[in-house]
Amino acid sequence: MSVTSKRGFTPVFSSGIFYIIGETLKGLYRNRWMCLTSTGVVVVTLLMLGLFMLINMNVGHITETVKEQVEIVVYIDEYASQATVDDLKQRLQAHSGLREVRYVSSTEHMDRLQKQLGGMLEGYDSMEDNPLLASFELRTNVPEDVPSIALELETYPGVATVFYGQGYVEDLFAVTGVIQIVGLSLMVGLAITAVFLISHTIKLTVMMRKREITIMKYVGATNWFIRWPFLLEGLLMGFTGAALPLVALYFIYEYAIEWAAVNNLLFLTLLPLQVVIYEVAKYLVPLGTGLGILGSSFSMGRFLKV
Amino acid sequence: MLYLKRFFGSCCRVRTERLGCMVEAKNLSMKYGRGGQYALDDVSFFIDRGEFVFFVGSSGAGKSTLLKLIIRELRPTDGVLKVFGRNVGRLPRHRLPYLRRNIGMVFQDFRLMDERSAAENVAFAMMVTGASRREIRRRVPHVLGLVGLQDKAKSRICDLSGGEQQRVGVARAIANRPAMIVADEPTGNLDPGTSLDIMNLLRSINLRGTTVLVATHNREIVDLFKKRVIYLENGKVVRDEQKGIYTGV
Repeated sequence: MSVTSKRGFTPVFSSGIFYIIGETLKGLYRNRWMCLTSTGVVVVTLLMLGLFMLINMNVGHITETVKEQVEIVVYIDEYASQATVDDLKQRLQAHSGLREVRYVSSTEHMDRLQKQLGGMLEGYDSMEDNPLLASFELRTNVPEDVPSIALELETYPGVATVFYGQGYVEDLFAVTGVIQIVGLSLMVGLAITAVFLISHTIKLTVMMRKREITIMKYVGATNWFIRWPFLLEGLLMGFTGAALPLVALYFIYEYAIEWAAVNNLLFLTLLPLQVVIYEVAKYLVPLGTGLGILGSSFSMGRFLKV
Repeated sequence: MLYLKRFFGSCCRVRTERLGCMVEAKNLSMKYGRGGQYALDDVSFFIDRGEFVFFVGSSGAGKSTLLKLIIRELRPTDGVLKVFGRNVGRLPRHRLPYLRRNIGMVFQDFRLMDERSAAENVAFAMMVTGASRREIRRRVPHVLGLVGLQDKAKSRICDLSGGEQQRVGVARAIANRPAMIVADEPTGNLDPGTSLDIMNLLRSINLRGTTVLVATHNREIVDLFKKRVIYLENGKVVRDEQKGIYTGV
């Protein structure tokens, strides 16, 4: 004689995990068209969400790359003593907002100029008469801090002038900020739509089997006895609905990387395939599986109150 | 008996053989909604073990409501309804399955799982009780044999006639050897010949000691069987006769 727990878990397990798996597979087979439709809806919704996540992640990555290229150039006063320059260098290196401080001598500036202009400065004796100022090239920890740090550096002794692309940088930050906010809003909107669409589809799948659930209750099945196979069905539908888009996204993204390389679109610094797929999987798999389980569980609730 | 123990609680070991009274209603009332009319109004009766009882009356008299109260699909508004000696109105929700495992239910619309076979429907009722595979394999063909469907065990419900579906319903109801069968208009969707077959089946189950409660409109069958008749009208018991007939004397 088996012992049945107060809440009725035991009958399920006394029949074994095989009962749950068997009933789940039978349930999926018996209601295959409805289950296929539900899984299809999950696949399409999560594929769209995944695609948008890929685009958003890469747009974010490109804008971050562009922003990181913004640097401050601090030109040193030509009359500043060596001690002042050393002191300035120390202060810049100690500055908490700066992550990179590089000294560029006037000679190095001239070399760069000569390279940029090609043969136009041929014969010009840069050692004898170099009008270019030595400078410090700086990168900030947070790109958005560039204007405020530049303003602060202007007050330092030994500084002739500070340049960071005034006017252009503020516009760049404004545009990238808008892109990120719009991208994030669209993604949140799409994720909410996915949640509603998937949970309602799963709910519909369970509602189609309301009669079956009610009959189970009439013959004396405990709630958990009824629930387990449905939860497992929801989990399988949700997981499949998340796994298939991931496979599709893998190939789509691989093709996009190849396409960008073939077409020499070097400005499109796309994120590596593994990183992107891992990031997308981190959201899609729990979302699909979780919605499958929760959708089934919540939809069953009222039918179990018979 | 295990399920009765569960139904009564772990400290109470009650066997149906020791229970005289299967159903006892005392001033039982049931009202749907707040401002609605009483579907049952101050009804009192008791049913002994092994009885065959017809609940008769016109539509809306309260027959189905009474059966729903017995299986605790509904809770009474007032009064006490004891099933197997326990007040089902106060039965906690988690004990409900154990009550229902002791009551075989037969419905007018059969309420079978259409996508499953006859054997699977009967087996499911046993499976929920935690019966072993061996027990299920042994019992299902036997029960289907009792209702004359041994050859249709593998047929899907949707491929069976109405009468055959109701036989599966009866087979499912007796699969767990319940103490009581509750049938709500079991012949409502059947032709007269098939109705008689089903009622004979229920009578033979009753002869083996199972209490049978039937709510019906079927005058011919009630008059033919000459069993106890409880006549309901506007939610009240207006007649309760042993070996009664539909219209009364």
